Amino acid sequence: MSLEIQNLHVRTEDREILHGVDLVVRKGETHALMGPNGSGKSTLANTIMGNPNYEVTEGKILLNGEDITEADPDERARAGVFMAFQYPATIPGVSVANFLRMAVNAKRPDDPIKVKEFGQLLRQNMDLLRIDPQFTSRYLNEGFSGGEKKRAEILQLAMLKPEFAVLDETDSGLDIDALKIVADGVNALRGPEMGGLIITHYTRILNYVRPDFVHIMIDGRIVREGGPELADHLEEQGYDWIREEVGAGA
Amino acid sequence: MPSPTFLEERRKAALEVFEREPLPTWRRSGFWTTSLRKLRLDELEPRRYDPVSSLDELNPVVSEALRDEELAGLIVQRGASTVYTQLDPAAAEQGVMVMSLEQAFEEHPDLVERWYMKRLSENEGKFPAASAAFWTGGAFVYVPRDVVVDKPIQVVWLIDEAGTAQYAHTLGIVEDGSKAYIREYNLAPDFEGQALHAGGFELYCRPSSNVKLAHLQDWGSGEVHDISTKRVEIAADAHCGWVPAVLGGHLTKQTLDIVTHERGSDMRQNGLYFTEGNEHLDIFTTDLHEAGDTTGDTVWKGALTGESRASYEGLIEIVFGAQNSHTYLQTHSMLLSPKAKADSIPSLIVKTDNVSASHGGTVGEVDEEQVFYMMTRGLHRLEAVRILVEGYFEEVIQKLEDDRLEEVVRERIAGKLTEAAEQVEDYIAQR
Repeated sequence: MSLEIQNLHVRTEDREILHGVDLVVRKGETHALMGPNGSGKSTLANTIMGNPNYEVTEGKILLNGEDITEADPDERARAGVFMAFQYPATIPGVSVANFLRMAVNAKRPDDPIKVKEFGQLLRQNMDLLRIDPQFTSRYLNEGFSGGEKKRAEILQLAMLKPEFAVLDETDSGLDIDALKIVADGVNALRGPEMGGLIITHYTRILNYVRPDFVHIMIDGRIVREGGPELADHLEEQGYDWIREEVGAGA
Repeated sequence: MPSPTFLEERRKAALEVFEREPLPTWRRSGFWTTSLRKLRLDELEPRRYDPVSSLDELNPVVSEALRDEELAGLIVQRGASTVYTQLDPAAAEQGVMVMSLEQAFEEHPDLVERWYMKRLSENEGKFPAASAAFWTGGAFVYVPRDVVVDKPIQVVWLIDEAGTAQYAHTLGIVEDGSKAYIREYNLAPDFEGQALHAGGFELYCRPSSNVKLAHLQDWGSGEVHDISTKRVEIAADAHCGWVPAVLGGHLTKQTLDIVTHERGSDMRQNGLYFTEGNEHLDIFTTDLHEAGDTTGDTVWKGALTGESRASYEGLIEIVFGAQNSHTYLQTHSMLLSPKAKADSIPSLIVKTDNVSASHGGTVGEVDEEQVFYMMTRGLHRLEAVRILVEGYFEEVIQKLEDDRLEEVVRERIAGKLTEAAEQVEDYIAQR
């Protein structure tokens, strides 16, 4: 069981951003994708999810062997792919609880979740993420602080239990307390049933969520891969040494 | 001693205006026109009906909208006739009156003549003159001073046959210090052919009263032409919150005005509309401040499908000397079809200093970023759009603070979205 990216080339209206990316995330593994701003990390996340603003010109995305490169975002979601957004949209007039129930039911259209069961599941996950119960009656992301938005994303992750989750810069904009809460949540959700791809600019979150594999992306290509020690190395030395090495090798 | 011919004289004056005035055309800014060219007025007539002893004898659109709710009072007019009235004994005990306006003129002439057409005029045009000249039945709602009426007071205007001309007049007075909730519904089943509702509505919120007002318009798919003027006057330190929900009509031209008439009065208007098919909607609202230390807040939200057209024009007017008035108006419309056209025009006339008055307007489409976000949670594209449109209206719907009516409005909006589903889906896919 895996999420597999093969030779992925992606462009927006103006230009090509990803120039042939290969990456395999197996269920049960946690990967970190690191890279400086503008390297194409968020493009990869959005393309995995099927954002219509990004066009795949070459290569494939396979979910458990099945080609989902052309699938609509909702099909991917129901098939078990999830993305926690860096900047999630605001949905006025729709409460967190209502939205979560609709999202949970989208995966089980013939057997909608019972109100009681949903309530229990919600409470359990809110406890996990230390979220105030009143939070769920607010409109999704409307007037939320940066930290609240990120927690709402992780709450959705916890409720939807996807097979593969992409966390796009979930650590950005979080103070250290909020970061620890989010990291605790992610750690609690890790396990043999989920594969994770944590996209981050900084090594900060990786001190709390230790990845099994680290990939470094620069200018639309994955240029280095290794274990968690690669992240430690970045922590100490920044991205410049990689740029230099890649530049020298080219 | 009022003249015994008071009403006759008013009708006569109105008839003169009606006969003198040609069929109106409302033109604005060169490209927006509301025209009655296709209305065959000569073929429409007031229709008389016998009273009924139960709502079940009426077209089911009535009981479907009322949903067995306990009411303080109810008056139903079908065509040209008052066919049903009911008054809760507890409300009667308080002195609340809910009856036909004809009956009120007979039984309480002093009271009715004091208020009748105080804020409406037969000189406002052919159709205001028509309703003033030809109304029959009519609705009268009176809440005496210092009472709290817990349950809603309900007025229903029903048109259930093509060929009907309904000339309507509602007069409401909520006296000093009282609290009441008044609802008026304009209902019709789907039928083929033309009909007319020419209506006048006037409500007086007396000093320190607290009045909630809701209008629900759903004329079905028949060619109902609705040309109405609704006006609310708010006296000193009184408050009125008004939610007009305009959900269906072949051609609608409504003027909805609130006058904060004396110091300390406060108005809230939260309106919504949804047009579909080839409906044409033209709404004009005025938030008129006639006294200082008054406050106002107007929010309108609309959505359009099909080839429908909707124009909302909202005016804030603050007269000379009405210092320290504060008011705000915002209007939003959402296009759900490439052939629909929406227009939002907020404007201001301020003739005094030391006030705050501002406005804002948007015409938009469904935000693709929101749709993508919701789809990544497994929701189908159309489902995502439905939720977004419902959420968009929710801000206004919740202002109703009326579970049953909220439910009715939500269901109607969901129904309209379902009907337009294919079209909305095509539209979004094409963008």
